[in-house]
Amino acid sequence: MGVFVFLPLVLPLTAWPVARLAEQHLHPRTATWLLTGVAAVLAVCSTLCLALLMVVGTAQLPGNPLPDGWSDPEVREAVPYDEVAGKAAIPALLAVITSCWSAAWRHRRVRKASGRALRGLPTRSVAVLPDGMPYAYALPGGRRDRIVVSTGMLAALSSRERRALFAHERAHLAGQHHRFLLAVQLAARANPFLRPLRSAVTYTAERWADEDAARAVGSRRTVAVAIGRAALISRGSPLATLASLAAAGPVPRRVAALLGPAPHAHRWPSLFTAVGLATWGAAAGTTVSALSSANSAVTLFFILHAATPL
Amino acid sequence: MDVQNTGGADPSRRRAQGELEAQVLSALGRAPGPVTAGWVQEHIGGGIAYTTVMTILTRLQAKGAVARERVGRSFQWTPVADEAGLAAWRMRRVLDAESDRQAVLASFVTTLSPRDEQLLRELLAQAPEDGED
Repeated sequence: MGVFVFLPLVLPLTAWPVARLAEQHLHPRTATWLLTGVAAVLAVCSTLCLALLMVVGTAQLPGNPLPDGWSDPEVREAVPYDEVAGKAAIPALLAVITSCWSAAWRHRRVRKASGRALRGLPTRSVAVLPDGMPYAYALPGGRRDRIVVSTGMLAALSSRERRALFAHERAHLAGQHHRFLLAVQLAARANPFLRPLRSAVTYTAERWADEDAARAVGSRRTVAVAIGRAALISRGSPLATLASLAAAGPVPRRVAALLGPAPHAHRWPSLFTAVGLATWGAAAGTTVSALSSANSAVTLFFILHAATPL
Repeated sequence: MDVQNTGGADPSRRRAQGELEAQVLSALGRAPGPVTAGWVQEHIGGGIAYTTVMTILTRLQAKGAVARERVGRSFQWTPVADEAGLAAWRMRRVLDAESDRQAVLASFVTTLSPRDEQLLRELLAQAPEDGED
């Protein structure tokens, strides 16, 4: 496997250009799918390679439970710098697992707590809570998707803007945007090089809901004004994975995007533009990452198989 | 959370408490005036123990959802908030708990920096008005 086992750890860098360019040049829906898919594959490959390195590193530790043959020179030769890399991989993988687990647990806990908070209210799709603090959230709950909005938020908006707000939150729920947000959240924790993709998807998911809302209410300007008003009276979203109208991503950019021309829905960038090159660069990086990690996994499997006394 | 009364942080138990709070509040909402815990116990049904009703009422009082006054040797209870008010209170707790703990929040709260705010006001001022209703 040689140096291939290290490639997936750094290949997320190939997705940086597209993470930067996608938000301006691709339709938000396309950008969200593309960046989330790329982030998920790169994160899985990177974690797999970390696990392979950890196996080699653990086998060298005295008193480890793995078969003795796994610390043979043939196995160690498979990994360049096996002394350092193997041992460094152990805490790295543990950190990845702990971090992802805590993010997933927190996501679940907040969703459950929010669901519990609304118990006892009529089971309508919109829960209006008497609270002067302005907020609005889409709470995904399987069959029971809900929009939570405070009276403070509704009071600040005109009736057209309220329709825009509800359309935005409904778009989050219908598009299951929380899944994209959770996926990039976990990916960014699996490999810190994927953090720019997390910020990009946090923004494009909001833009996606903005565009859907604009189509639903028939006016991009109304949505822009609703976002602007809500942002000016709101504080931030408490949680990145709960999609909120005004909080995520730089609000002025969203408003400016809505006041500009609508993005083209079905157009893939040509190879000869900056965003085209960036997209194909990320696709190539993702492919190489997948091939490298598959190659490393298969190679190590056969090496360990040969080294295991039967 | 008073762990002694709920018997630990068992989630199913906690969920039951949330539902009971809503039931007790809606019973109080139907009451003709200030009523005793015994009246509440009779009207929520489901064979809930008197001590449980008292626990729920005390907790609701701590949340500012109900008020009590001493009449003779017992308390009489009246609702202050309705179920939506209680839900708002619980939701706020979820939001506040998250904003305290998460560093990720700081970036969200500052999302609208003074410069952003200025920019946003300019953008909104430029946006052409089209028939408000």
